[in-house]
Amino acid sequence: MRRELEQIEIPGEHVARERTWHVVESAFSERQPVPRSSHWPRAAAIAVALAALLAAVASPPGQAVLDEIREVVGVERAQPALFSLPAPGRLLVASDAGVWVVQRDGAKRLLGDYREASWSPFGRFVVAARENELAAVEPDGNVRWTLARRDVRFPRWTGSETDTRVAYVDRTGIRIVAGDGSGDRLLVPRARWPLAWRPGVAFQLAYADRRGRVVLVDAETGRVLWRSRPDGTVVELEWSSNGRRLAARRALAVDDVAVYTWRGALYTGFRVRRGTVTAAATRPGSSARAVAVDGDGQSRLFVTGVPGSLLSGPGAFEDLAWSPEGQWLAVGWPAADQWVFVQDDGKRIRAVSNVSEQFRSRSFPRIEGWCCAP
Amino acid sequence: MRTGRDERAHVRGAQRGSVSDLEALFRAHWQRAFRAAYLVTHDAGAAEDIAQESFLAAIRALDRFDRRRPFGPWLHRIVVNRAIDWTRATRLRSEVELSESLPAPDQPAEAGSEVLAALAALSPEHRAVVVMRYLLELTPGEIAEALGIPRGTVNSRLRRGLDALGDEL
Repeated sequence: MRRELEQIEIPGEHVARERTWHVVESAFSERQPVPRSSHWPRAAAIAVALAALLAAVASPPGQAVLDEIREVVGVERAQPALFSLPAPGRLLVASDAGVWVVQRDGAKRLLGDYREASWSPFGRFVVAARENELAAVEPDGNVRWTLARRDVRFPRWTGSETDTRVAYVDRTGIRIVAGDGSGDRLLVPRARWPLAWRPGVAFQLAYADRRGRVVLVDAETGRVLWRSRPDGTVVELEWSSNGRRLAARRALAVDDVAVYTWRGALYTGFRVRRGTVTAAATRPGSSARAVAVDGDGQSRLFVTGVPGSLLSGPGAFEDLAWSPEGQWLAVGWPAADQWVFVQDDGKRIRAVSNVSEQFRSRSFPRIEGWCCAP
Repeated sequence: MRTGRDERAHVRGAQRGSVSDLEALFRAHWQRAFRAAYLVTHDAGAAEDIAQESFLAAIRALDRFDRRRPFGPWLHRIVVNRAIDWTRATRLRSEVELSESLPAPDQPAEAGSEVLAALAALSPEHRAVVVMRYLLELTPGEIAEALGIPRGTVNSRLRRGLDALGDEL
């Protein structure tokens, strides 16, 4: 039996092995080996450290030290609450409590216990997902329609004033439904990766397949318009606002960020020599990009055309979101429990602390989008 | 033939950051991992993904790995469990897919093996037990531990799997 099983021919076995080795070797080279010591001293060290920490917290001077540590991580003089946004528009935020809409004056409304969401093209609606439901919700919380599906992820809305589509992923693959909740259908089976509608063009959807290729498909006909070459794993896709460039942020890849033309040609790509790209966002109205890079535990924020980094600090920067007019950038900074709003030239910075508490969340809230003013 | 001592040395070297030791582990175990995944899933693309993800998971957990344990069974356990999950999920999807969909890219070519065809007639749970016993050469006790099922269940699945294979062949 064993000989029979070992003699079965598997298509592409050799190529698969070398392809896998390339990925595994790349992942390994980015890993930081942990020096090993014997078990006893490590356990003892942990116990001693815990005891010291408990003792420190128990004493008033110790508490002061911890407070000081918290304060040095983050932007000084951060506002204690989100009193207002620095630019017009509304934020969409996902926290443990659900999805929230934040108005420019800082007013917050919890739309429901959804786990992710995105804006409709003109900001009139939000498409939100909870585990087994897709929902179209007005920003005041009024639910327009819902669709029961299993394990819903990546809801994305596109279209014109009169004709819209929502793409999302569930257990079956990528699905499409009209903006009024009708005509739900499967577009790409077995896909569970990021999606991005091409702006300004009728219903072209970019997604990443399980081989790490970026694919552009006509969502109306199902016709594949192009596929990129495979490279690592695509973790995020984003079109420029004019629909001419598509940026793919990747992991374990030759390029950390690859930018494609709308025809599928590789326009440019770059790899960070020491560090990881933790977030990227294309500025509205241009092809400039903001990129957050985490290297050796220190993060830096860069914007195309602006010399040097606009922001740096310990821990990773996440969830970059441009304001609708493209002059301010919102940066999530979990290590500091802050959101930092950075002007496009880096000359002005505003920070808000206690973000998790404000959104009733134990994990750090995600910025899902910064959309147009009502 | 690779000895346990060699393997422990390679694990130790990989834990210290040696690419050549990692490559030795990879070359020693990838083929069986890939083959086991393929025999459970019957999809070369999925098998490649599963073997790759399993090695990446192993790298992430390398610092916590107990060098006194053999590396292969640890890796194969990850592979087979992922392959079963993938097959179950695919079976579920096939029940609910709509007709208006794109063909799946890169369908694997027919392997044309009688054994493969006979295996395809088994459930993924039965396939996994047969593959673990006869390809990966794990004992029923090790299979039971890896899959989190009683040893008696392993034996009954093996028996039923072999009976079905015998009928098909």
